[in-house]
Amino acid sequence: MSMSADSGGSNLSNDMNVTPMIDVLLVLLIIFMMIIPMSRKAIDTQLPDPNPQPQNSQVNPDQIVLEILPDDKYAINKEPVEKAALLARLKTIYDPRPEKIIFVKGDTMVAYHTVIFAMDQARGAGVKVIGIPPK
Amino acid sequence: MGMSVSGGGGVKAEPNVTPMIDVMLVLLIIFMITIPQINAGFKAVPPEGQNLKPHPEVEGDQVLGIDSEGRYYLNKRPVRNEDLETLVKQIYETRTEDKIMYVKAHRELQYLKVVDALDRLARSGVAVAALITEQAPGTESLIESDKLLGSKPSGGQ
Repeated sequence: MSMSADSGGSNLSNDMNVTPMIDVLLVLLIIFMMIIPMSRKAIDTQLPDPNPQPQNSQVNPDQIVLEILPDDKYAINKEPVEKAALLARLKTIYDPRPEKIIFVKGDTMVAYHTVIFAMDQARGAGVKVIGIPPK
Repeated sequence: MGMSVSGGGGVKAEPNVTPMIDVMLVLLIIFMITIPQINAGFKAVPPEGQNLKPHPEVEGDQVLGIDSEGRYYLNKRPVRNEDLETLVKQIYETRTEDKIMYVKAHRELQYLKVVDALDRLARSGVAVAALITEQAPGTESLIESDKLLGSKPSGGQ
Protein backbone atom coordinates (compact mmCIF):
# COMPACT_ATOMS: atom_id res chain seq x y z
CA MET A 1 0.00 0.00 0.00
CA SER A 2 2.81 2.34 0.79
CA MET A 3 4.24 1.18 -2.56
CA SER A 4 1.18 2.19 -4.49
CA ALA A 5 1.13 5.60 -2.82
CA ASP A 6 4.78 6.09 -3.68
CA SER A 7 4.47 5.09 -7.30
CA GLY A 8 1.44 7.33 -7.72
CA GLY A 9 3.38 10.23 -6.28
CA SER A 10 6.41 9.66 -8.49
CA ASN A 11 4.17 9.44 -11.59
CA LEU A 12 2.75 12.81 -10.77
CA SER A 13 6.13 14.50 -10.50
CA ASN A 14 7.44 12.74 -13.62
CA ASP A 15 4.66 14.07 -15.85
CA MET A 16 5.72 17.50 -16.98
CA ASN A 17 2.94 20.07 -16.99
CA VAL A 18 2.90 21.19 -20.62
CA THR A 19 -0.42 23.05 -20.55
CA PRO A 20 1.05 26.55 -19.95
CA MET A 21 3.58 25.96 -22.70
CA ILE A 22 0.84 25.03 -25.15
CA ASP A 23 -1.14 28.10 -24.11
CA VAL A 24 1.82 30.34 -24.80
CA LEU A 25 2.53 28.67 -28.14
CA LEU A 26 -1.10 28.98 -29.27
CA VAL A 27 -1.14 32.67 -28.38
CA LEU A 28 2.13 33.19 -30.28
CA LEU A 29 0.67 31.35 -33.27
CA ILE A 30 -2.43 33.56 -33.25
CA ILE A 31 -0.32 36.72 -32.91
CA PHE A 32 1.82 35.75 -35.90
CA MET A 33 -1.24 34.85 -37.97
CA MET A 34 -2.61 38.33 -37.26
CA ILE A 35 0.62 40.24 -37.85
CA ILE A 36 1.85 38.70 -41.08
CA PRO A 37 -1.03 39.86 -43.35
CA MET A 38 -1.12 43.24 -41.59
CA SER A 39 2.53 44.02 -42.14
CA ARG A 40 2.49 44.16 -45.94
CA LYS A 41 4.02 47.36 -47.30
CA ALA A 42 4.20 48.80 -50.76
CA ILE A 43 4.91 51.88 -52.84
CA ASP A 44 1.90 53.06 -54.84
CA THR A 45 2.58 54.01 -58.44
CA GLN A 46 0.21 55.52 -60.99
CA LEU A 47 0.19 53.61 -64.24
CA PRO A 48 -0.08 55.46 -67.55
CA ASP A 49 -3.52 55.99 -69.03
CA PRO A 50 -3.91 53.38 -71.79
CA ASN A 51 -5.98 55.78 -73.92
CA PRO A 52 -4.23 59.12 -73.55
CA GLN A 53 -6.11 62.25 -74.57
CA PRO A 54 -4.46 64.07 -77.46
CA GLN A 55 -3.87 67.26 -75.46
CA ASN A 56 -2.03 65.25 -72.79
CA SER A 57 0.67 64.26 -75.21
CA GLN A 58 2.13 67.75 -74.89
CA VAL A 59 4.91 67.58 -72.34
CA ASN A 60 4.30 69.68 -69.27
CA PRO A 61 7.48 71.76 -68.86
CA ASP A 62 7.07 71.86 -65.10
CA GLN A 63 7.14 68.11 -64.51
CA ILE A 64 9.99 66.34 -62.75
CA VAL A 65 11.36 63.17 -64.26
CA LEU A 66 13.77 61.08 -62.23
CA GLU A 67 15.78 58.77 -64.41
CA ILE A 68 17.63 55.72 -63.18
CA LEU A 69 20.57 55.03 -65.45
CA PRO A 70 22.82 51.97 -65.55
CA ASP A 71 25.77 51.76 -63.13
CA ASP A 72 23.82 53.28 -60.24
CA LYS A 73 23.59 56.73 -61.85
CA TYR A 74 20.59 59.02 -61.44
CA ALA A 75 19.36 62.10 -63.28
CA ILE A 76 16.62 64.59 -62.49
CA ASN A 77 15.29 66.22 -65.66
CA LYS A 78 18.44 65.02 -67.48
CA GLU A 79 20.74 66.61 -64.90
CA PRO A 80 23.00 63.96 -63.33
CA VAL A 81 22.77 63.53 -59.57
CA GLU A 82 24.99 61.45 -57.31
CA LYS A 83 23.31 58.60 -55.46
CA ALA A 84 24.30 60.07 -52.08
CA ALA A 85 22.98 63.52 -53.01
CA LEU A 86 19.68 62.27 -54.45
CA LEU A 87 17.58 62.70 -51.33
CA ALA A 88 18.89 66.20 -50.58
CA ARG A 89 18.39 67.27 -54.20
CA LEU A 90 14.82 65.95 -54.29
CA LYS A 91 14.09 67.69 -51.00
CA THR A 92 15.26 71.07 -52.32
CA ILE A 93 13.06 70.57 -55.37
CA TYR A 94 9.92 69.38 -53.57
CA ASP A 95 9.95 71.49 -50.41
CA PRO A 96 8.72 74.67 -52.16
CA ARG A 97 6.64 72.83 -54.81
CA PRO A 98 2.91 72.52 -54.20
CA GLU A 99 2.44 69.55 -56.53
CA LYS A 100 4.23 66.51 -55.20
CA ILE A 101 4.30 64.50 -58.40
CA ILE A 102 7.31 62.70 -59.82
CA PHE A 103 7.81 60.51 -62.85
CA VAL A 104 10.26 57.69 -62.31
CA LYS A 105 11.74 56.39 -65.50
CA GLY A 106 14.07 53.49 -65.03
CA ASP A 107 16.46 52.33 -67.70
CA THR A 108 15.43 48.91 -68.94
CA MET A 109 18.81 47.43 -67.99
CA VAL A 110 18.87 48.45 -64.31
CA ALA A 111 17.88 46.13 -61.47
CA TYR A 112 14.39 46.52 -60.06
CA HIS A 113 15.62 47.29 -56.54
CA THR A 114 17.52 50.39 -57.68
CA VAL A 115 14.26 51.76 -59.09
CA ILE A 116 12.54 50.99 -55.79
CA PHE A 117 15.41 52.75 -54.02
CA ALA A 118 14.83 55.86 -56.14
CA MET A 119 11.07 55.78 -55.47
CA ASP A 120 11.78 55.32 -51.79
CA GLN A 121 14.04 58.38 -51.76
CA ALA A 122 11.41 60.37 -53.62
CA ARG A 123 8.75 59.46 -51.04
CA GLY A 124 11.22 60.43 -48.33
CA ALA A 125 11.61 63.83 -49.99
CA GLY A 126 7.87 64.45 -49.74
CA VAL A 127 6.62 63.16 -53.09
CA LYS A 128 3.00 62.03 -52.86
CA VAL A 129 2.36 60.63 -56.33
CA ILE A 130 4.78 58.48 -58.28
CA GLY A 131 3.99 58.10 -61.95
CA ILE A 132 5.36 55.52 -64.35
CA PRO A 133 5.78 57.12 -67.78
CA PRO A 134 4.45 55.16 -70.74
CA LYS A 135 7.07 53.18 -72.64
CA MET B 1 -3.51 7.62 3.54
CA GLY B 2 -6.29 10.07 3.06
CA MET B 3 -3.65 12.32 1.54
CA SER B 4 -2.64 9.70 -0.99
CA VAL B 5 -6.27 9.30 -2.10
CA SER B 6 -6.61 13.02 -2.66
CA GLY B 7 -3.38 12.88 -4.63
CA GLY B 8 -5.04 10.29 -6.86
CA GLY B 9 -7.98 12.67 -7.36
CA GLY B 10 -5.56 15.35 -8.48
CA VAL B 11 -4.17 13.07 -11.17
CA LYS B 12 -7.63 12.47 -12.59
CA ALA B 13 -8.54 16.16 -12.64
CA GLU B 14 -5.67 16.99 -14.95
CA PRO B 15 -6.70 16.26 -18.55
CA ASN B 16 -4.50 14.04 -20.62
CA VAL B 17 -3.04 16.46 -23.20
CA THR B 18 -0.76 13.97 -24.94
CA PRO B 19 -3.26 13.05 -27.72
CA MET B 20 -3.98 16.73 -28.32
CA ILE B 21 -0.27 17.44 -28.69
CA ASP B 22 0.01 14.50 -31.08
CA VAL B 23 -2.82 15.85 -33.20
CA MET B 24 -1.38 19.35 -33.20
CA LEU B 25 2.07 18.13 -34.18
CA VAL B 26 0.56 16.16 -37.05
CA LEU B 27 -1.40 19.25 -38.15
CA LEU B 28 1.78 21.32 -37.95
CA ILE B 29 3.63 18.83 -40.11
CA ILE B 30 0.75 18.71 -42.61
CA PHE B 31 0.75 22.51 -42.90
CA MET B 32 4.52 22.63 -43.22
CA ILE B 33 4.27 20.22 -46.13
CA THR B 34 1.30 21.77 -47.91
CA ILE B 35 2.16 25.48 -47.66
CA PRO B 36 5.19 25.30 -49.96
CA GLN B 37 3.09 23.33 -52.43
CA ILE B 38 0.36 25.96 -52.39
CA ASN B 39 2.90 28.61 -53.32
CA ALA B 40 4.49 26.12 -55.68
CA GLY B 41 7.22 27.70 -57.71
CA PHE B 42 6.54 31.31 -56.79
CA LYS B 43 9.65 32.54 -55.09
CA ALA B 44 10.50 36.22 -55.06
CA VAL B 45 12.46 38.29 -52.62
CA PRO B 46 10.95 41.76 -52.72
CA PRO B 47 13.29 44.74 -52.54
CA GLU B 48 13.77 46.65 -49.32
CA GLY B 49 12.92 50.26 -48.67
CA GLN B 50 12.31 52.71 -45.90
CA ASN B 51 9.47 55.13 -46.68
CA LEU B 52 6.73 52.63 -47.43
CA LYS B 53 2.98 52.76 -47.15
CA PRO B 54 1.33 50.01 -45.09
CA HIS B 55 -1.14 47.97 -47.11
CA PRO B 56 -2.80 45.42 -44.81
CA GLU B 57 -4.11 42.47 -46.78
CA VAL B 58 -7.81 42.70 -47.59
CA GLU B 59 -10.20 40.19 -49.11
CA GLY B 60 -10.24 40.59 -52.87
CA ASP B 61 -6.69 41.91 -53.26
CA GLN B 62 -5.13 40.98 -56.56
CA VAL B 63 -1.44 40.15 -56.44
CA LEU B 64 0.78 39.77 -59.46
CA GLY B 65 3.99 37.93 -58.67
CA ILE B 66 7.05 38.10 -60.89
CA ASP B 67 9.77 35.62 -60.01
CA SER B 68 13.49 35.85 -60.66
CA GLU B 69 13.01 34.33 -64.11
CA GLY B 70 10.38 36.90 -65.07
CA ARG B 71 7.47 34.44 -64.94
CA TYR B 72 4.09 35.78 -63.90
CA TYR B 73 1.93 34.47 -61.07
CA LEU B 74 -1.60 35.80 -60.63
CA ASN B 75 -2.56 35.32 -56.99
CA LYS B 76 0.22 32.73 -56.70
CA ARG B 77 -1.02 30.68 -59.67
CA PRO B 78 1.37 30.50 -62.60
CA VAL B 79 0.09 32.36 -65.65
CA ARG B 80 1.43 32.40 -69.19
CA ASN B 81 2.81 35.86 -70.05
CA GLU B 82 0.50 36.28 -73.03
CA ASP B 83 -2.59 35.31 -70.98
CA LEU B 84 -1.99 37.94 -68.29
CA GLU B 85 -3.80 40.79 -70.02
CA THR B 86 -7.00 38.86 -70.69
CA LEU B 87 -7.11 37.47 -67.16
CA VAL B 88 -6.47 40.83 -65.51
CA LYS B 89 -9.00 42.50 -67.82
CA GLN B 90 -11.66 40.02 -66.73
CA ILE B 91 -11.01 40.83 -63.08
CA TYR B 92 -10.89 44.62 -63.39
CA GLU B 93 -13.76 45.09 -65.85
CA THR B 94 -16.29 44.02 -63.24
CA ARG B 95 -14.45 45.44 -60.26
CA THR B 96 -16.00 48.58 -58.83
CA GLU B 97 -13.50 49.15 -56.01
CA ASP B 98 -10.12 50.81 -56.48
CA LYS B 99 -8.32 49.62 -59.56
CA ILE B 100 -5.26 48.69 -57.54
CA MET B 101 -3.05 45.71 -58.12
CA TYR B 102 -0.21 44.55 -55.93
CA VAL B 103 3.00 43.66 -57.71
CA LYS B 104 5.47 41.47 -55.89
CA ALA B 105 8.57 41.27 -58.02
CA HIS B 106 11.99 39.82 -57.35
CA ARG B 107 14.51 42.44 -56.27
CA GLU B 108 17.27 41.52 -58.74
CA LEU B 109 14.91 41.42 -61.71
CA GLN B 110 15.79 43.48 -64.74
CA TYR B 111 13.57 46.60 -64.69
CA LEU B 112 12.51 45.92 -68.27
CA LYS B 113 10.58 42.87 -67.04
CA VAL B 114 8.78 44.90 -64.38
CA VAL B 115 7.95 47.80 -66.66
CA ASP B 116 6.71 45.30 -69.21
CA ALA B 117 4.34 43.81 -66.65
CA LEU B 118 3.19 47.27 -65.49
CA ASP B 119 2.50 48.16 -69.10
CA ARG B 120 0.33 45.07 -69.51
CA LEU B 121 -1.53 45.95 -66.32
CA ALA B 122 -2.10 49.53 -67.48
CA ARG B 123 -3.61 48.23 -70.72
CA SER B 124 -5.84 45.85 -68.73
CA GLY B 125 -7.53 48.55 -66.69
CA VAL B 126 -5.32 48.76 -63.60
CA ALA B 127 -4.81 52.36 -62.46
CA VAL B 128 -2.52 51.94 -59.47
CA ALA B 129 0.26 49.40 -59.05
CA ALA B 130 1.39 48.94 -55.46
CA LEU B 131 4.94 47.64 -55.62
CA ILE B 132 5.38 45.36 -52.64
CA THR B 133 8.52 46.26 -50.74
CA GLU B 134 9.84 45.06 -47.43
CA GLN B 135 10.70 47.42 -44.62
CA ALA B 136 14.46 47.47 -44.29
CA PRO B 137 15.34 46.10 -40.85
CA GLY B 138 15.69 48.73 -38.17
CA THR B 139 14.09 51.52 -40.20
CA GLU B 140 10.78 53.30 -40.00
CA SER B 141 8.96 55.40 -42.55
CA LEU B 142 9.65 59.11 -42.11
CA ILE B 143 6.27 60.08 -43.56
CA GLU B 144 3.61 61.00 -41.02
CA SER B 145 0.68 59.51 -42.93
CA ASP B 146 2.43 56.13 -43.19
CA LYS B 147 2.88 56.00 -39.43
CA LEU B 148 -0.80 56.79 -38.86
CA LEU B 149 -1.83 54.01 -41.21
CA GLY B 150 0.55 51.63 -39.51
CA SER B 151 -0.83 52.26 -36.03
CA LYS B 152 -4.46 51.60 -36.98
CA PRO B 153 -4.51 49.16 -39.87
CA SER B 154 -8.31 49.17 -40.17
CA GLY B 155 -8.18 52.77 -41.36
CA GLY B 156 -6.04 51.74 -44.30
CA GLN B 157 -8.77 51.25 -46.85
